[in-house]
Amino acid sequence: MPEQITLEAPLDDDFQPVVRLIVGGIATHAAFGFDDLDDLQLAIERLLAEAGADGRVALSFEVRPGAIGVRIGPLHDVGLVEALKSDGILPGGLTLARILQTVVSSFAVEVVGDGDIVVRLEKLAEGS
Amino acid sequence: MSDTGEAARSRSRSEDRELLRRLHEEGDIGARERLVQRHLPLVRALARRYAGRGEPLEDIEQVGAIGLLKAIDRFDPGRDVALATYATPNVVGEIKRHFRDKGWAIRVPRALQELNARMSLTIDRLTSRRGRSPSITEIADELKTTPEQVLEALEVGSAYSTLSLSIGSTNEDDADPLESIGEEDAHFEQSDDRAALEPVLARLPEREREILSLRFEEGLPQTQIAEQVGLSQMHVSRLIRKSLSAMREDLR
Repeated sequence: MPEQITLEAPLDDDFQPVVRLIVGGIATHAAFGFDDLDDLQLAIERLLAEAGADGRVALSFEVRPGAIGVRIGPLHDVGLVEALKSDGILPGGLTLARILQTVVSSFAVEVVGDGDIVVRLEKLAEGS
Repeated sequence: MSDTGEAARSRSRSEDRELLRRLHEEGDIGARERLVQRHLPLVRALARRYAGRGEPLEDIEQVGAIGLLKAIDRFDPGRDVALATYATPNVVGEIKRHFRDKGWAIRVPRALQELNARMSLTIDRLTSRRGRSPSITEIADELKTTPEQVLEALEVGSAYSTLSLSIGSTNEDDADPLESIGEEDAHFEQSDDRAALEPVLARLPEREREILSLRFEEGLPQTQIAEQVGLSQMHVSRLIRKSLSAMREDLR
């Protein structure tokens, strides 16, 4: 049975260390290696950095053996949808989508109305 | 000062001027890179003055290099001043700003800072011993501490204000020239490609560009990158974070 953890945090940069610590704690609980933990922290950090600095964001974590699913949103920045498009990334292009493709096992973007989006990330531990 | 020394200095200034002319008049990015390489020893010398204050020397050098880049970009070729003279206050200012912005980090308990310093070697040793990345619990066991302390100590090293490269200046003359260029980029096609970071990738130091390329183009894990570039895994992780944050700031 997966464990659920939910968190609502300000988008302000000042709170990124707090979010990182919590993500680290959750990844530790899932017995992630340092590599995987660092990847997940980076994915969330970059995504929140792109989402602006105003307002709040809800993060919901689903912890399963060897895997963590994260639901982030709703996010209001429409530019994020473009930034998260996986198609058309040129070789050498370092977009948010390319970063997420590298550091998480999968991600998806869901439009939830009025241009708001929810981003879902899944990170599998090495060897899972 | 000997004639030979004076002649060498004069020749060096002339070369700088030619490179600056090529950069500012022709937009020659290669000239910019040459200038950075030529003046990195100055950055290293200035960075060493700030060593031992809770920040790895490499990180201070990296921040100093940002100051150097700013100096190169805002240098007025019409002024009769050497680039090194002009760059020095920029580099020092950037380093001081970095320490000021990270004031919270260098006030963390000494024990946590020491744990952070020990962790880097421990992670590399455990990775080598186990053939995989160690978990936080394994790192904590090895260091005879708790997972919570390990996470906090990691944060001491990895926390990085995304604003630290450009905030804090109230002086217009001290504004970030890279940032102003970035604003033009952002206005130009913000809606089409808001997170396109590649326009500013070229401005990073060569080592950071290589690390980003190995990670995000070739998809190598941090452990392999660390071996390839001769740094600890933790340091690679920090450089990736800082580089991405700095690039993001450039686009704002």
